Parts: sequence; structure tokens; C-alpha cells
Amino acid sequence: MPSSFNMTNMPFSLLTEAEQVLLRSSLDIGYYQRGETVLAAGDVPEGVYVILKGVVSENDADADGGEVDHVFVHYTAEDYFGGWSAIKGRAIHNFIAEEETICHILPTKMLLDLCAENSRFADYFQQSLSAKTEIRSKLGGDQDMAEFMLAQIKDGVIREPLIVEQGSTIEEATRLMREQRADCMLVKRGNRYGMVTGTDLLDAIVIDGFPLATDVAEIASYRLITTASGDYLFNALITMTQQHIERVVVMDDQQLTGVVELTDVLSYFSSHSHVIGLRIERAATIDALRDAAAGLSDLVRAVVGQGVKARFVMDLIAAMNGRIIAKLFDLIIPPDMQPHVCLVVMGSEGRGEQIMKTDQDNGLIFRDGLIWPDMHETLRQFSDTLISFGFPECPGNIMVSNPAWVKSIGDWTQQLSDWSENCDGLAQMNLAIAVDAHPVAGNQALFKTSRNWFMRHLQSNKVFFAHFAKVALEFDTPLSFFGNLKEKGQLDVKKGGIFPIVHGIRTLALEYRVLETNTFKRIEALVELGQIKEKHGRELCEALALFIQVRLGQQVLRAEQDGVDQTPNTIDLALLDKMERDMLRDALHIVKGFKKHLALRYHLAG
Amino acid sequence: MIIPRTIRQFKERIDHRAGPYGELFAPYEGDEVVSLDCETTSLNVKEGEILSIGAVKIRGQKVVTSERLDIKLKPPKSLTEDSIKIHKIRAADLADGVGMDEALEQVLAFVGNRPVLGYYVNYDIRMLDKFLRPRYGFGLPGKAIELSHVYHDIIKWRSIGGNADLRFDTISKNLDIPILERHTALGDAITVALMYVRLKYGETPNI
Repeated sequence: MPSSFNMTNMPFSLLTEAEQVLLRSSLDIGYYQRGETVLAAGDVPEGVYVILKGVVSENDADADGGEVDHVFVHYTAEDYFGGWSAIKGRAIHNFIAEEETICHILPTKMLLDLCAENSRFADYFQQSLSAKTEIRSKLGGDQDMAEFMLAQIKDGVIREPLIVEQGSTIEEATRLMREQRADCMLVKRGNRYGMVTGTDLLDAIVIDGFPLATDVAEIASYRLITTASGDYLFNALITMTQQHIERVVVMDDQQLTGVVELTDVLSYFSSHSHVIGLRIERAATIDALRDAAAGLSDLVRAVVGQGVKARFVMDLIAAMNGRIIAKLFDLIIPPDMQPHVCLVVMGSEGRGEQIMKTDQDNGLIFRDGLIWPDMHETLRQFSDTLISFGFPECPGNIMVSNPAWVKSIGDWTQQLSDWSENCDGLAQMNLAIAVDAHPVAGNQALFKTSRNWFMRHLQSNKVFFAHFAKVALEFDTPLSFFGNLKEKGQLDVKKGGIFPIVHGIRTLALEYRVLETNTFKRIEALVELGQIKEKHGRELCEALALFIQVRLGQQVLRAEQDGVDQTPNTIDLALLDKMERDMLRDALHIVKGFKKHLALRYHLAG
Repeated sequence: MIIPRTIRQFKERIDHRAGPYGELFAPYEGDEVVSLDCETTSLNVKEGEILSIGAVKIRGQKVVTSERLDIKLKPPKSLTEDSIKIHKIRAADLADGVGMDEALEQVLAFVGNRPVLGYYVNYDIRMLDKFLRPRYGFGLPGKAIELSHVYHDIIKWRSIGGNADLRFDTISKNLDIPILERHTALGDAITVALMYVRLKYGETPNI
């Protein structure tokens, strides 16, 4: 087809002139009515479809053409679809014309011929596939990683639990465990379950000296750590790492489903996050801890390369970083001081929203009247060690090595309330950082006392919220008058998208005394309190996740190219495809709407 | 024009049924249609010369652009400034064109006994017939489908008084079909083919 087919679009612009002529000569044009199925799942596709006009949606409606479960993507003019299907020989999803559509059809045979001839063209066409294989070959042997990261608990690691009724003796229980080759069992007491492990039995007899006829229900522990079967397996791992336990109980709708054991999970998964977690736990010296921490960057890269959602990566990293800092705290802070101080992380670390190692934002709260002469010396060592682990120094010097961020509980609280009554920019910024604080080590009660007092104190100062919210509106949303992306080349996603959401939600969370610090969890809590409509909450979560995902993708790219990422918040629009740009635009519209909502709510006209 | 052509075709069918081109006159059984367009030097059949011929097959809902005809002919003497202004084909563009004999052979092989679709298709058919008759003794054997008639049959109920606007650009606008390449034979043939498919299988256009 002579010229209606636009060769200047990727990936067709990669073809040589001769190949373009060849491609043109083999194109057909298809016409589809609204609602017509262009390609049904399971069909053998004719080739790649390039839309000339119209809209096509991709969904995974079940084969009998029933309910449309989920529309993955909409394709519009100049987008192509069916590339995967053509290469695989069978369509995976349904493609349905949403309006009248005219498509160019590039026959499969020609596609394969062109792929064979032109390797760059082939790479682009198989982009997702090749990117994955490349990473796999680099990491060698880690191909189970993605499967693992996305595996759910129900995917085969749940064990049928051994259950005994209340009234069984220790002796009976031990024999039963022996017979069943189990090393833990659940004891049913009324309608509650308690867990008894081999160690519990041993401790009960040897250390506590219970007679063998004792009811096992007496020694079971009833505070079960549970998870749901639809949860991600690595979340179970995170829980186990955080709680120092080896098994979690799977409960669905209050019903016992089974038990997940650490050994099973580890056999599912051989070399990653949990191993790093274990290495962190076992590190007895600072050097050993440093080695363990070094593995973290590789983990992030691998996980991101496999396309795991940024939000889950954040959970994983936050848990890992928290462990590293807590462990270092154990190693450096003298044990006799540990109960009297509380180490908090703040800013993005406190919210659990960092992914690449960001600068350390931490502080220390100590008990009023604590006498510890070497305090500043020790804390300086703490900060320096963290820097040597690859957590960059904080440019605003918000670190425990700075005495301004090491305060007694009274001073700390006073400081917060001073900031809240001061309207200058620095005070507002410090406050924003400090209210995201999250305790990671030491005596958490110290932190909680201070936070609870401050939250109560704020309620008496309604003007504060308006002042505080105003900052969220400071930066313009980078959308043009007509609602398109404003900047052609680059866009600061932090100012334009992330910050307004995070700060706006932070303000609302403070006003309604939400204790969570993670923005996603704050949104969920606010929805539960009825302060945000469920639909808006979901949209905000999606928008924020998209910003983080897109930013992360580009950060990893830059880190690979240059080693150092100078502009962590810049999004290069040229690197996004049309679909991603469209999604980014929609997300920015959500931000715009949210800012309007804030302005109305806090009477911030103009 | 339709009636004389029908009579003439009837006569030709009887004359040639047993001849070497007999199969061209068998009734067409398939579901294909050929969309055809010629660029010429004049809109007057008597004076005009063909510059290029474009044709493409329509199979069901699909315009099979991979099976197409795109013939450039040798520049005729009558290629003058006036017509160059319209179709923008210069003598230089036709330097590697083929002779009329070869072109007609390709057209017959491509079209066969399939129905021929076009916009003011009679003009194109008469133009081709003008060159076919002296050589073969018959014109294009297939049925003619006039795009503007197909269009008119569908929209006439909406335009009271029968003053339907049948201009090419209007039709393409109403059908929301992009004009791919106006004034190249193949481009027009493809556009017409798309409009035909749209009229045949799509919803009635809103006017």
C-alpha cells in the first residue's frame, strides 16, 4: 500500500528502504465494525494489525464470549497489536473493535521474514520478551525470580496443617508429630487455633518442666501471624523476616486454610530477597552487614527488570532497608542505651516509598533526662557507616549525626509543634519530613508518645491544615490548556505528580489522625474513614503507582547507562511509548482533580 | 450508459463464449470484487489516453492490498500541461512505463470475470474498453458496480428530494474514510474499496 502506511513510526522506521518496500507490498487492509472481534483468543492471527483509524481494545473475556473481565489496553491510530500473538502463532487475548476500525494487516510470514532479516526490528517487536531474556542471561540462573516474585501463596506452598483438639497431651502430640513427620501443629481451643512447634514442646518439658500429660493447649501460642492465600509469597517472606518466625498461618475469611513454612518457601525460591534478609539477620559484624546490604541493589534491579509492580518492590525494599538500619542500630548503639532511645526513619523512607537507595533521613528520640556522654560520637559513627553502605548523605543534613535531629522526647515534640505554628517554608518542609517518621529500632513507645501528643495537639489548630495543604498546590500540573502533556521533552514527575499526591494525602492523614505513614495505606485508611471516595482513592493509588513505576523504569535505565543518576525525578517523554504517555497524561489529570479538591476543602482559592 | 453496455456485453458473451477467452465470460461465482481506477489525460473518453491503472481486490471485509495492480504506461502524446495539473503525473514519471498491450493483458488477468467497482466506474471501463476492443474484440467482461450508486441507495432515504451530494470528497467525509492518496490510480482504487466495504458491512452513515 503506497503511502497510507506510516513508516516513520517505530518499529517500522528501523527497516531499510528495501524492506519497507517489501513490507508495503504485502500489506492488506481490514475493515471492522464497532463491536466486531478482530481477533479472538485462541485464533491463529493473520499477522500484526496496525491501526489506520479507530480504536481496538484488548481483553481476556472468557472464550465463550461472555462477560468482559478486564480491558488491558486500548489501541488507537498508529498503534500496532497482535505482534505477540503472531509470533506465538495463537492469539492470547480477544481484540475487539471499539469503534469502526480500519487496520493494515502485516501477514505473519512477512513479519517473521523481516524479523529474521533485521535484528533491530526483531528486537523492538519482541521488546518485552527480549528485555526479559537479556536480564535473565545476565543474572544467570535467576529465571525463577519473576515467577517467584509474582507467585501467590496459593501456588502450591500451603501445607495441610496437623490439627489436634484441646485436651491432647504433650506426649500424644509429640508422637503424632513424629508419625506425620511434622515439626509444628495447630491446637484447636474452642474456635481459636494455637500453634505448637517442636521447640515449644522441648522447652515445655526440659525448661519449664511440664509433665508429659499436660494439655498441649496450655503451651500453644495463640497470637498467630496470618496471611491470606491470595497474597504474594514474598509478602509472607517479608512477614517472616520482620517477625523472626518460620511459619505463617494462612487464613481466608476467618477460615483456616493451611500453614506456609519457611523451608517450603525457600525451596520455592533459592537465592534472593529472603537470603539477603537472612544475611542481614545473621550479620554479626558491620562488615558482614555491609556485604548483605550490597546485595540489595542487585535485587532491586532484578526485580524491576522482571516487571514486578513498583508498589510491591517498595514493600520489599522498605522491609529490607528497615532491617539493615535496625541491625546496624543493634551493632553500634550500646545495649544498655537501646531501651532509652528510638531510631526513626523519615521522609520517603518513613513512608516506605523509596526504591533506589535514597538519602538517609533519620533521627533519634531519647528519653527525657537520659545521660549518655558518647551519644553524638556514636551517632556520627552510625551515620558514617550507613553512608559507607551506600545510603547517601542527606543534603538537608537530616541525620542522627546532626544534633538538631537528636532530641529528647519533650524537645522533639516541642519542635514539631513549633514548626506547625510557623509558616515559613523550611519549617513546613521539616515538618512534612518529620510527620512521616516511622520507628525502626529501639524503644518504639518513645516515638508513639510523641506522635500521639502531637496529633492531638494539631486538632486544636485548624488553620495549620490549610497552611500545610497549600504546599501541595505549589507546583503546576504539567498539563496544557487543552489537557495534553505540557512539556515535549522532559517532565519533573516529583513536582508534577508525586509530591502533590503525597503531600495532600499527608495533610488529610494528619487531620484525621491516620497513623499509617505509607501513602497507599494512608489513602486506604482515609477511604475507610469516608474522607475520600473509594473511586478517588483507587484512582490516586493508581496514579501514584504509575508515577513511581515510570520513574523507576527510567532511573534503572540511567543507572545502567551512566552509573550515577543525576536527575532522579526526570521523566524523558521520548523514551515512553504512546500508551505510556497517554497513561501519564490521565494520571496527571487525576492529580489536577485532587489539587482542586484540596483547594476547595481547605479554602485555598487561587 | 448502463443499458448499451449490457446489450453489448450480452453480444460479446455469445461471440466469445467458445473462444480462447471463454472463461472471462462465465458467470462469476466468487465473492471478490475488483476496485479499479485509471488516471487519464482527459475526462473525454474520445480524446483521453490512459496514464496509469490501479486496481485492488476486495475479499469479504478485507481490502487485499497485497494483491494489487499498479501499472504505469508509457507517456502518451496527449500528456499536456492541463492534465498534469490535475493528476500531477509528468512524462518523466512515466519514463519506465509499460506498453498498452502489456498493460491490458495484466488488467484482464487481474480482473478476470470479477465485478468491477469504481467511482464513476463507467468512465474507467469505457476508457479501458476503448483500448481493449480493437485488440481483443471485447471490453471488460465483469459486472460494473458504481460506488456512488451503492452510496445513494443507502442514504437516499435520508436526503428528501433526492439531492444527495455524491462528490467523492463528500462521500469519503460522510463515511469517515480517509482519502489515502487522491489522484493516484492505486490510491483512489483503495479509497473506493474501503468506502465500498464500509457501506456494505458497516452501519448506515449519519448525514
